[in-house]
Amino acid sequence: MLIPRRVKHRKQHHPTRRGAAKGGTELAFGDFGIQAVEAHYVTNRQIESARIAMTRHIKRGGKVWINIYPDRPLTKKPAETRMGSGKGSPEWWIANVKPGRIMFELSGVTEPVAREAMRRAIHKLPMKCKFVSREGSEF
Amino acid sequence: MSETTIQAETRTEFGKGAARRIRRADRVPAVLYGHGTDPVHVSLPGHALMLALKNSNALLSIEVGSDQHLALPRQVQRDPIKGFIEHADLLLVRKGEKVSVEVPLHVTGEPAPGTLVVTEYNEITVEAEATNIPESVELSVEGLEAGTQILASELTLPAGSTLELDADTLVVNITLAPTAEEIDAELSEAEEEAGIEKDEATETSGDDAPATAEANAEAGEGDSSDDE
Repeated sequence: MLIPRRVKHRKQHHPTRRGAAKGGTELAFGDFGIQAVEAHYVTNRQIESARIAMTRHIKRGGKVWINIYPDRPLTKKPAETRMGSGKGSPEWWIANVKPGRIMFELSGVTEPVAREAMRRAIHKLPMKCKFVSREGSEF
Repeated sequence: MSETTIQAETRTEFGKGAARRIRRADRVPAVLYGHGTDPVHVSLPGHALMLALKNSNALLSIEVGSDQHLALPRQVQRDPIKGFIEHADLLLVRKGEKVSVEVPLHVTGEPAPGTLVVTEYNEITVEAEATNIPESVELSVEGLEAGTQILASELTLPAGSTLELDADTLVVNITLAPTAEEIDAELSEAEEEAGIEKDEATETSGDDAPATAEANAEAGEGDSSDDE
């Protein structure tokens, strides 16, 4: 699972979820991709789950790229705890994904296979996403 | 490549307010520059420009009043989600002038079984005449074995084009695909590490922990308010 090796601050503020993606909105490596249509925090478990679903479907013959990294910690206070007494302990690692961001890319497979693999992966992700292809996205 | 003629209107007002007014009228703000001349700010019809730019290196003939300019799209800004054109930078060119452009690389054919084609460069930078820009560079990987590396110098470029990439740049790499057993072992290990259950029955397994955590938190909040 993707986890930062070392961070400067163990507990951080929540990242902002406003606005659209500034970069990473076009396919850079593969021929097909999953693009976020909504903003959401994506945990490292969700990223891994999507990758596994995609790779299981394509079996051998394809290559998968993950373009997001869960580098922000989110904290959580234990259950049945009164407010106060400081910030909770880190619970999740998340990537702050904005609309337009290409999260996964895939190459080396035919379009129907890529479409089905990505449909399965999209089910593992928390936000509405869409399938994009190099042919379709070109101007 | 044939040129597409587009009627342009000069822009007199600038800034985001004016640009948004232009976009609401189904037009696209654009700028024409090159050859050391002053930039010309124009607006172009949105639908015609969208159709013309279906090809990334389309040669445009822009009519501004009585003047006619040949231009190539240098940078096209698009809405990241809906894909409509927000702004276009057009570079002025002359007939016969050599320009540097990025041409898509199309890999065709099936390599030897059990191999994987890794394309390092999806676009190849070439120098070509502005009026004779190739639409794509074709590369056949038919029957190639694992370990084959295709360098930029080995590409067959269309007539009239010269390569701008370093000759020894790796463009396409044919590698050995991992076996089904290797993939299965790697995925099983990853699932185990992440605590993800296998099979379709666990479609929402990735969301289980946060959902449970949220439920617990809500229950916790409720209890604490009861105490008070």
